[in-house]
Amino acid sequence: MVRTMRLYACLLLALPLVAQHGRYLNESKNPAIGNPEAIAAGGKLFNGSCAGCHGRDGAGGRGPNLVRRALWHPLSDDAIFKSIRDGVPGADMPPTKLPDDQTWNLVAFVHAISGPAFENRNPGDPEAGSKVFWGSKAGCSNCHSIRGKGGRMGPDLSNIGGSRPLAVIREAIVEPSKDLFLLGNEAVTVTLNSGETIKGVARNRSNYSLQIIDRAGTLRLIDMAGVKDLAVSSKSPMPDGYAQKLTSEEMTDLLAFLARQALRTAEDTYSRGKN
Amino acid sequence: MNRATTTLLALFAITASAQVRYEDLLKGPGADWTTYAGNYQGWRFSPLDQITAANAKTLVPKWVYHVPNARGLRSSPVVHKGVLYITNANSVYALDGRTGREVWRYIDTRAKGGGVNRGAALFANRVYFTTGDNYLTALDRETGAVVFSKQFADPSKGISSTSAPLVVKDKVIVGSAGGDSGMRGFVAALSAETGEEVWRTYTIPAKGEKGSETWGELIEWGGGATWLSGTYDPELDTLYWTTGNPWPDFAPGTRKGDNLYSCSLLALDLKTGKMKWYFQFTPHDTHDWDAQSWPVLIDLEWRGQPRKAVLHANRNGFFYLLDRVTGEFLRGTPLIDKLTWATGLDDKGRPVLIPGKDPTPEGNWVCPSVKGATNWMGQSYHPGTGLLYVLTLEQCGFFSTSAQTPQPMKNFSGGGATEEGGQVILRAIDPKTGKRAWEYPMTGAGRMWTGTVSTRGGVLFSGDDDGHMLALDAKTGQHLWHFNMGELLTASPITYEAGGKQYVAIASASAVFAFGLYEPAVSVPVKKVTP
Ligand code: HEC
Ligand code: HEC
Repeated sequence: MVRTMRLYACLLLALPLVAQHGRYLNESKNPAIGNPEAIAAGGKLFNGSCAGCHGRDGAGGRGPNLVRRALWHPLSDDAIFKSIRDGVPGADMPPTKLPDDQTWNLVAFVHAISGPAFENRNPGDPEAGSKVFWGSKAGCSNCHSIRGKGGRMGPDLSNIGGSRPLAVIREAIVEPSKDLFLLGNEAVTVTLNSGETIKGVARNRSNYSLQIIDRAGTLRLIDMAGVKDLAVSSKSPMPDGYAQKLTSEEMTDLLAFLARQALRTAEDTYSRGKN
Repeated sequence: MNRATTTLLALFAITASAQVRYEDLLKGPGADWTTYAGNYQGWRFSPLDQITAANAKTLVPKWVYHVPNARGLRSSPVVHKGVLYITNANSVYALDGRTGREVWRYIDTRAKGGGVNRGAALFANRVYFTTGDNYLTALDRETGAVVFSKQFADPSKGISSTSAPLVVKDKVIVGSAGGDSGMRGFVAALSAETGEEVWRTYTIPAKGEKGSETWGELIEWGGGATWLSGTYDPELDTLYWTTGNPWPDFAPGTRKGDNLYSCSLLALDLKTGKMKWYFQFTPHDTHDWDAQSWPVLIDLEWRGQPRKAVLHANRNGFFYLLDRVTGEFLRGTPLIDKLTWATGLDDKGRPVLIPGKDPTPEGNWVCPSVKGATNWMGQSYHPGTGLLYVLTLEQCGFFSTSAQTPQPMKNFSGGGATEEGGQVILRAIDPKTGKRAWEYPMTGAGRMWTGTVSTRGGVLFSGDDDGHMLALDAKTGQHLWHFNMGELLTASPITYEAGGKQYVAIASASAVFAFGLYEPAVSVPVKKVTP
């Protein structure tokens, strides 16, 4: 069981990158895509005609969660258009008869909720969210780094807004153990034959070797022939309970801040930048 | 939050301490291999001696890591504290040097421009590499977390980036690729802390500047790319960097004159980037003979006087010895046997041309070919044998012009050239005389881009032109061992030590291989994992 869950975790870990890539290659030129008015209009339509099956904001119900689905089944804008227009034959997804412009508004909405958070206008105050992230109440930066500052135990968040949809980021914070993005992040305790005990996060491990970031934040390369005992936690090292711990305003601001974290953003580029 | 998490939290807030300092880079290779060419002098020599000419016959593969989606890897690994870093286009992989297991990977999925990447650089607790669209990215060495990612050149001006950066003191030195489709080459020093530009020295003068009189109207697109990392002399505080061909490659009529500073070696002041001197190997190049391989810095006796010298095995077919303080030409000897465009070099080092060797509409047969007598393949200098090991290519080819008007960034080089067949010969050259000590001819189609590394153990490792990894006796060139890697080799080997054992690593077209001395396996009982 543990094994299959880990495999699943591994898939999830690897796929978002592929998903992003697929989308970028197939970006549509339709003016509705990325247009805030079109997205808002599409959102209204969605909540009327689609949310019954796909849930509010595509979070899933009778039909699939459209945000997560896009991680492993990325669709080009044209393919989303086709799915909405024609339905998915053989599945429980009906065709629609909306005119082209309204259908494109829907595509723009689906694109926005399943695309990187950075591409959208998000609610909340990123400045205030920055204080939540770097502050001691949430303690995010004890474990996570952004552009070289912060902790070394959790994944780097320098590009979290540039690589994940907002709903996925929210889920990672609110329900950290839900999908076990654990491979590469397992909390482990190793006892060596010498008696030394090392606690840390396993970046990788096999029956023969172990690569962990130890308590001092140092990468340790360990030979399993020298290991007496290995304990692996099945829970995420990321704390539970942020939904209760943070006010909803803090959470919204934090998400707005994380959504802004993207590499290769406009102010970075040579042609437009300060350079 | 449970107790275990709290403990971890407190513990993991501490940053790792193992820093790569300038002093470590100065020392050159030991257990670690911290820069592209091993040391600042460009020797690709390691003092490791577990693997010797006597025991090399027991070498076996230790691990293989398949780099995702890799085709034709050009990367030479760097190693620090048992972790090996290998690059592919827009990506870096950190591997456990004993097992090849991945520690982390960083893939910049939004980078535009795939192609080639030749390697990473290490400094402090960071790994530096450049993307195809000219971002210098600094990653945490142990976690792969992004420290900064900053663009240093505009890809819409025909510039891309392929070379491994070189870190010297507080600067990361980067180059510029793309010279065959028109661009203006440069060497730039960026802050190792922030990626901000400290200086930039163009390899082609701007209109009106000194040297611009050696050009025609396409000077802004003159090329002079800096495809490869350079070398550094700490005492002289000078960088040595080579420059690529003038553009359009095969349409010389558009650029009458010497086309400074293409096909040259530049000596640049580390602090300011100011050019101390230059030496142009191939004035007004018409065969795409970039001054491609890196300059090797050695001290030797020349006509009874000690000299700080720089060696350069050039694509044009000659092997040069220069004074690296002044740039004075000391000697030039043929690197290859089939050399049909010049009778030799004059006393200033300028080629004495044989007329009628420029590209023609119907094609002109010239030796060496466009690939050159050697290219960017890793050469190695062994201070013990006193020999420089260079992969040379005896190959000729057709060079032709086109009637079309050259257009920048349309990848139009003003003609074409062929590069098939011929023979790769690994040559051991004595820098004191320019004469060959021995040579090792290879089979193959002349397509490899692989290179060498030599060791105090007396072994010279090299890829061959047929997909084999080789170990030769560094003194005599005698074959000791080979291994069929099953693919064309396009990268150079290095050697390092991890867990007390010496390894030799090389990237094939699609994977990284590590070799070491045979040892019987030790049984590893499967550990019961407790929750
Ligand atoms: C009756 C329920 C239902 C309704 C109403 C519905 N869908 Fe679906 N939808 C589904 C199901 C079920 C699937 C999964 C089909 C499959 O498994 O291939 C799906 C799939 C999709 C997909 C993904 C297609 C793919 O190939 O990945 C998109 C996009 C989508 N729906 C958008 C919409 C939109 C927009 C609307 C409103 C206009 C809508 N759906 C209305 C049930 C529904
Ligand atoms: C005790 C250390 C720790 C703390 C504190 C912590 N995290 Fe995490 N976080 C982790 C680890 C480990 C993971 C990877 C495993 C997982 O996904 O659960 C992770 C995963 C994440 C992810 C998913 C990353 C991805 O690549 O998809 C996000 C987003 C995130 N954390 C945000 C936060 C925020 C925001 C806070 C503060 C409110 C926070 N974390 C606090 C350790 C921590």
